[in-house]
Amino acid sequence: MLSRVVLSAAATAAPSLKNAAFLGPGSFFNHTGLGVPLKTTKRIRASICTIITCRVLQATRTFRTGQPHLAPIPPLPEYGGKVRYGLIPEEFFQFLYPKTGVTGPYVLGTGLILYALSKEIYVITAETFTAMTLIGIMVYGIKKYGPSVAAYADKINEQKLAQLEEAKQSSIQQMQNAIDMEKSQQALTQKRHYLFDVQRNNIAMALEVTYRERLYRVYKEVKSRLDYHIAVQNMTRRKEQEHMINWVEKHVVQSISAEQEKETVAKCIADLKLLAKKAQAPLVM
Amino acid sequence: MNENLFTPFSTPTILNQPATIPIILFPATLVLTSKHPINNRLATIQQNLIQLTLKQMMMTHNAKGQTWSLMLTSLITFIAMTNLLGLLPYSFTPTTQLSMNLAMAIPLWAGTVMVGLRFKTKNSLAHLLPQGTPTPLIPMLVVIETISLLIQPVALAVRLTANITAGHLLMHLIGNAALALSTANFSLTLLTSTLLTLLTILEIAVALIQAYVFTLLVSLYLHNNT
Repeated sequence: MLSRVVLSAAATAAPSLKNAAFLGPGSFFNHTGLGVPLKTTKRIRASICTIITCRVLQATRTFRTGQPHLAPIPPLPEYGGKVRYGLIPEEFFQFLYPKTGVTGPYVLGTGLILYALSKEIYVITAETFTAMTLIGIMVYGIKKYGPSVAAYADKINEQKLAQLEEAKQSSIQQMQNAIDMEKSQQALTQKRHYLFDVQRNNIAMALEVTYRERLYRVYKEVKSRLDYHIAVQNMTRRKEQEHMINWVEKHVVQSISAEQEKETVAKCIADLKLLAKKAQAPLVM
Repeated sequence: MNENLFTPFSTPTILNQPATIPIILFPATLVLTSKHPINNRLATIQQNLIQLTLKQMMMTHNAKGQTWSLMLTSLITFIAMTNLLGLLPYSFTPTTQLSMNLAMAIPLWAGTVMVGLRFKTKNSLAHLLPQGTPTPLIPMLVVIETISLLIQPVALAVRLTANITAGHLLMHLIGNAALALSTANFSLTLLTSTLLTLLTILEIAVALIQAYVFTLLVSLYLHNNT
């Protein structure tokens, strides 16, 4: 990876240095010479390392002749190849099947083992017994606990996958919730005009009420002014009347002289006596 | 094949060249590393086991002690794998060599002591005297505690060497007995084979336990000193 980057950078930056074994000092990185004191900062040290790496890569260019991988390599298979007796791949049996049939590899194996034993290529020692017991224990252990261990491993993997899946699902769910809320908000804005209508109505009513109130006040004011005028008129009339009555009374009283008063009083007495007689007469009857 | 009983413990040679270094490095090739979150079953189980031991071991330490987790985890994995591989026939177990065990024990123990002396000088020196000792005994007790401190790496190394070597030797001896008896008296061979089976099971357990003990003790020394 680094070699590709370096090579391409070198090719573009220094076309004349085709087979040169080293680059110019810091041509496309920071300028640092080799005489740098020991107490350098981390960044300067990193850049020095980069420069040295580039120089080495450039110098060894002629040794690297293989084609680099330009594409991602294919993924590894999930399960290994099938194996018989834990050691011998199934392809071997398939390989021998056309010529020797099913028993071919077994006969080959038996022959090899007997050959090794009889020619003492494999010597039976104490280790043989150790090997036999060990293999016996291993086979027993794998046969007995193998499936449960495999199930445990699968369970662990499944839990990891489930966790990731859960994360993904919860993220999707959150998005969905956000979308739904947004939609409901949009629907609410559609119905907002009801609110505005009600408010408008309220304001109109309030305005109407104020208007009527002021109208009434105006009416009252005007009425009171008119009442005042009427009262003034009435009072003037009354005063005039009283004045006239007083004047008439005064003149009448002035006009009545003293003899007229005596004459009137005597007549009244005579009338009264007559009336008394008239009243006594029906009573006797 | 084997001239005496101790040839399995000699330095393995390939064409007269010592082959110890590839043999010591071999268990590392069996521990799988993977960048993928979901692996095959073997990798998952290995990852799970290592995670389990890591949690179990490093829970008791504080932050400073937990900087040793990589060291201790790789230690226990290395010792366990080496011991288990040594149970295979015709194999060489590096942990049977005192040289290697000392090379593992002394730097680790010295590391814990130095960490303790540097960062908690008073505390680590105070470990040299147990609490509640009567005053006249103090000088003697300090000497005794110092000796017990200095003997710790030797004890670690010798414990591991002796256990594994003894187990291997015993298996060889009983195998030889079974071999000799197979010509003489077959039923006794069966008996001896049963004994060998039980012994192998024990050896497997011992292999794992020794790894655990080694790492646990180093972790304990670390805990005392951080």
